[in-house]
Amino acid sequence: MRFPSEATLRKLIAFVAALGIGVATYIAIADSGGGAPTCLAGGSGCETVANSSYSHIAGVNVAVFGIVGYIAILGTAFLASDLARFGGFAVSLGGFGFSVYLTYLELFKIEAICQWCVSSAVLMTVLFLLNATRLIGYAGTDGAALPEKT
Amino acid sequence: MSNKREREKRREQRLQEETKVASADRRTRLLQFGAGAVFLAIVAVTVLIVASSGGSGGDAGDIKEAGEVDSLLAGIPQENMELGRPTSPVKVFEYGDLQCPFCKAYSEEVLPQVIEGPVKQGKARIVFRNFTIIGPDSVPAGEATLAAAEQGRGWNYLELFYRNQGTENSGYANDEFFTAVARASGVKNIAKWNEARKSSEVADEVAKTTEEAKKLGFNGTPSFAIEGPGTKGMEALETPGSAGDLESAIEEAS
Repeated sequence: MRFPSEATLRKLIAFVAALGIGVATYIAIADSGGGAPTCLAGGSGCETVANSSYSHIAGVNVAVFGIVGYIAILGTAFLASDLARFGGFAVSLGGFGFSVYLTYLELFKIEAICQWCVSSAVLMTVLFLLNATRLIGYAGTDGAALPEKT
Repeated sequence: MSNKREREKRREQRLQEETKVASADRRTRLLQFGAGAVFLAIVAVTVLIVASSGGSGGDAGDIKEAGEVDSLLAGIPQENMELGRPTSPVKVFEYGDLQCPFCKAYSEEVLPQVIEGPVKQGKARIVFRNFTIIGPDSVPAGEATLAAAEQGRGWNYLELFYRNQGTENSGYANDEFFTAVARASGVKNIAKWNEARKSSEVADEVAKTTEEAKKLGFNGTPSFAIEGPGTKGMEALETPGSAGDLESAIEEAS
């Protein structure tokens, strides 16, 4: 199987992670700017999701965890080392797992779907796939990446 | 001379091979770590999902905090859904939905300070009114509360319901849960309460207060209004951000 070049993968990872930062930041700002939270009548799924008891962990909006994760992944896209390859994979795996859990909560516990949360889950899934490809394709190539002696 | 070059060449080849072997080793290790991490992630997500599938609240077989509610409300007069001395000059109206998680948070974190303060001091009464917006189960929940109020336990019912609230519209708010809350909140005559909560008077009252809240321009719960000597009739407060805000509104209205 032929892998896309690592440079391409890194560019894609950086691009998707930047989109993720945007989405998660929007959710966090929309949540914090609401003033006194209320339960809204006839609101869309996002309000139900944001108002549910699952939207915060220890008082911190889950979107903030998302921002931190996306920034970490963006950071690994700028480095070409096994540490960055594994770090990006590990963080995106954690983010992907967390997204699976949050989507489960939306579907089965909150019973409402928020399109912003779904966007973030999709971006995180893409990041996980990209980082997994990067790890499988390029793990252990640190030595080979050095300029060859002639 | 050529011997030396030969040796150097071989040395370089050996080094390159060693690097290759080391890279391959590291690659194997990293991929093993990766597989381990995937396994751990699957376990973690499964545990989280299993842990959260158990109900948090909304359990008719396990009504909690009845003691706390009793001691919070002990000694405060209740008349229908009014909490506080009838001589208190200011009336605070709370338009709430029993299924609303923010009403629950409000009743646990904001209202106790107001109840301990202005309500117990005889400055204000709090009047709970149903504003059923979350879903169909909010209506019978509101009716059950008004029926409990007919036996002087309306506020106990309301507070205890909030403290045991389940996930909105998950179906926990059923007759079994309503009855468990009624028993735990000290409703003495369950047969009479059952009759009252199915009566048209109670149903009309829930519908009427919901309409009233809409007319006041409210679109979320909990929403508050206030009436006192310092106000022009009933004035909308929306949702005061803290107990302090609510207390200063009471001061201004008196």
